Amino acid sequence: MSESTSTNTPKPSSSVKLVLLGEAAVGKSSLVLRFVNNDFQENKEPTIGAAFLTQKCSLPTRTIKFEIWDTAGQERFASLAPMYYRNAQAALVVYDVTKPSSLTKAKHWVAELQRQASPGIVIALVGNKLDLTNDADEASGEPRTDSEQQPPAATTDEDDTAGEPQEEQDATPGDARKVSTREASSYADEEGLLFFETSAKTGVNVVEVFTAIANAIPESSLKSGRGAGAGTGQTTLGGGRPTEDSRVNLGDRTTATAKEGCAC
Amino acid sequence: MEPLAETPWDVTISGTGLAQSLLALALSRSGKKVLHVDQNSYYGGSEAAFSLQEAQEWASKVNGEPEHYPFEDATVYLPEGAPHLPTRSYTLSLSPHLIYSKSRLLPTLVASKVYRQLEFQAVGSWWIHKPQSDSSSTDGITGSSVLYRVPGSREDVFADDIISVKSKRTLMRFLRHIGKPPQDGDSGAEEDLTMSLPEYLSSNFQVPAELHEPLLSLSLSQTSPRQTSAEYAVPRIKRHLASIGVFGPGFGSLLTKWGGGSEIAQVGCRALAVGGGVYVLNSGIESISNLHETGNGDDTRVQLHLSNDETIKTRFVVGSNWDLPGQGRPTCDKVARSITVVSSPLESLFPVTAEGGPIPAGAVVVFPGSSFDQSDDLPPVYLLVHSSETGECPSGQCVVYGSVNCAGAQGQTLIEGAIHRLLQSNAEPDANVLWSLRYTQLGVSSNSANPNSFKFEDPSSSILCFPPPSLDLAFDDALIDQVKDAWKLVMGDEADEQEFMDFEDREHADDDD
Repeated sequence: MSESTSTNTPKPSSSVKLVLLGEAAVGKSSLVLRFVNNDFQENKEPTIGAAFLTQKCSLPTRTIKFEIWDTAGQERFASLAPMYYRNAQAALVVYDVTKPSSLTKAKHWVAELQRQASPGIVIALVGNKLDLTNDADEASGEPRTDSEQQPPAATTDEDDTAGEPQEEQDATPGDARKVSTREASSYADEEGLLFFETSAKTGVNVVEVFTAIANAIPESSLKSGRGAGAGTGQTTLGGGRPTEDSRVNLGDRTTATAKEGCAC
Repeated sequence: MEPLAETPWDVTISGTGLAQSLLALALSRSGKKVLHVDQNSYYGGSEAAFSLQEAQEWASKVNGEPEHYPFEDATVYLPEGAPHLPTRSYTLSLSPHLIYSKSRLLPTLVASKVYRQLEFQAVGSWWIHKPQSDSSSTDGITGSSVLYRVPGSREDVFADDIISVKSKRTLMRFLRHIGKPPQDGDSGAEEDLTMSLPEYLSSNFQVPAELHEPLLSLSLSQTSPRQTSAEYAVPRIKRHLASIGVFGPGFGSLLTKWGGGSEIAQVGCRALAVGGGVYVLNSGIESISNLHETGNGDDTRVQLHLSNDETIKTRFVVGSNWDLPGQGRPTCDKVARSITVVSSPLESLFPVTAEGGPIPAGAVVVFPGSSFDQSDDLPPVYLLVHSSETGECPSGQCVVYGSVNCAGAQGQTLIEGAIHRLLQSNAEPDANVLWSLRYTQLGVSSNSANPNSFKFEDPSSSILCFPPPSLDLAFDDALIDQVKDAWKLVMGDEADEQEFMDFEDREHADDDD
């Protein structure tokens, strides 16, 4: 869309550490790939250990830079997750709507996060592979009111793979859904999680998940620590610089990542 | 999933402390098959960071299994009537050391591309306890601060309104002298540095005695002025001055947000995990046995028995005396340390130190041994104070990391006294200590002779044991050399020094398509 307009206005920007958790092969990496590169790979190889990606998300009043830690669902020893979710401000816990066991695993992750992660962590529960269900064209989850006004996915301009889902559906006729929206959604309500059903393949709801997380991060945790007292003194000294008053930049190349522009 | 035993590992790293984790980073693109294990359930080893609850558990482990930790006598102190604190709102670091802007660690983190995953903040001011006897104006009634900001640059000296004009002149002469680039006059190398710092300052520059302790504090020397040689202190004061302004106006050293060295260790481990290394927590090495499968020596492998009951074979095993069985106990120096949560933001310690500079998140407060009204020649107490900006505690509080080169009860009493006086002078009247962890740390003092002379004992061995961790209050660059040595031994003929920790970005790999 409009990369230049978002960079013109010096909105405050903050980094948010986000971890992806979930059983193997539920599509964690594919969700990130869709979000970061608006791309989808049909037979993506399993993530070996973990991967790290960044993407900016522009909100009306601020810019959020997601630092995304993609953990390997096949990880054997459950030894990687602790180093990822430490100090994470957001977590995406992913399950596969066609695989009930993956929701069970997702619930384990939610419990682990609630026990171990930072107290204010924003958790989103995401049922992926919506394209394999009869609701393929329909975005379900929290922003349902929005999606009712949206045209079907096939006519959205960003859908490069519009032809493929039909072929795919011919190959697997019927509805592969095994986890009902209601079951997952009521669990999410009980636990106070954001909830979405997505398709990394068609892109349905993917950006919405990240935007919702960005909106749910409390302002206080972004501007961390001391409040107005120190901040007001800073504005005159800093000459209108964006926030993150205490941050020291080591490399000038940090600005290069801005080229991605705004995906939200 | 194949069991660990079926992989012939090139390297097994034991422990996730800073040395091991930087080695993990160095090996993250090597193509070597790396297994990284830790006996603990957390990352970071002796540089870990903890919630209050985890710190409590750590203290019990340290006391229960002393052979596994370079720490002793860990106790949690809860003052009477202290409120219940939300344990996970705290990230208390065993390695709160500051990193000078000129440290080689920073270019290493930049070249290896992991710096973007870290957040650095400024350590702004050095404060030192000011003797009150000579100045009758600060008799305590006004509540004016007994801490005095150490001028850390020539600009500071000009702006200072406490030092007399005459003293300023001598100080400037000293600062000019050590600020000279070494290539200008090689005759400078001739100067006698064997005397103590106070002698050196008096005899060469007529710097008055009242400025000796402040200058010493810039060197972070953990011994008293009389016991600190100019040879040790002068290069370190030089480093302090040369570091100011490198990454922004008004500060010369940094801290890592969210838990200091622990963050750097975890970033190193993540890099290796992304590169295909296998991580297993809760699994230490229980025994090491040598295997000689062939006569030529190349295939010499070590067999390791892990505490999760797996037995694996590896070409190299790397760790520390506390992570590798049968390595014996090295001789160590001991210091008293503590981590204290106080109920004050101590805002006066964190002024912006130059126009356009960041708000510092760290400050150094020094109580010279002479300030303790005791006859002995006591070492100074250092308090590294971290504001809530570091993410280590909720706002309205600070974390105070105390250290004194005097292990045991006496050292802890000195630190406690220093914190008490800090709160008296700089905090609100109702401010107090909310929680404190006290312990003895083992390692190599930066003040001891030739601390940087470490070499792996037997480079032909398959077992590489890092030396005890540095007790320096600033990050010790010698660690990078140790990691590089281990990396070279592991890489063998493939080691190309130019490639050490110099990596391309991973995250834009997709752009080629």
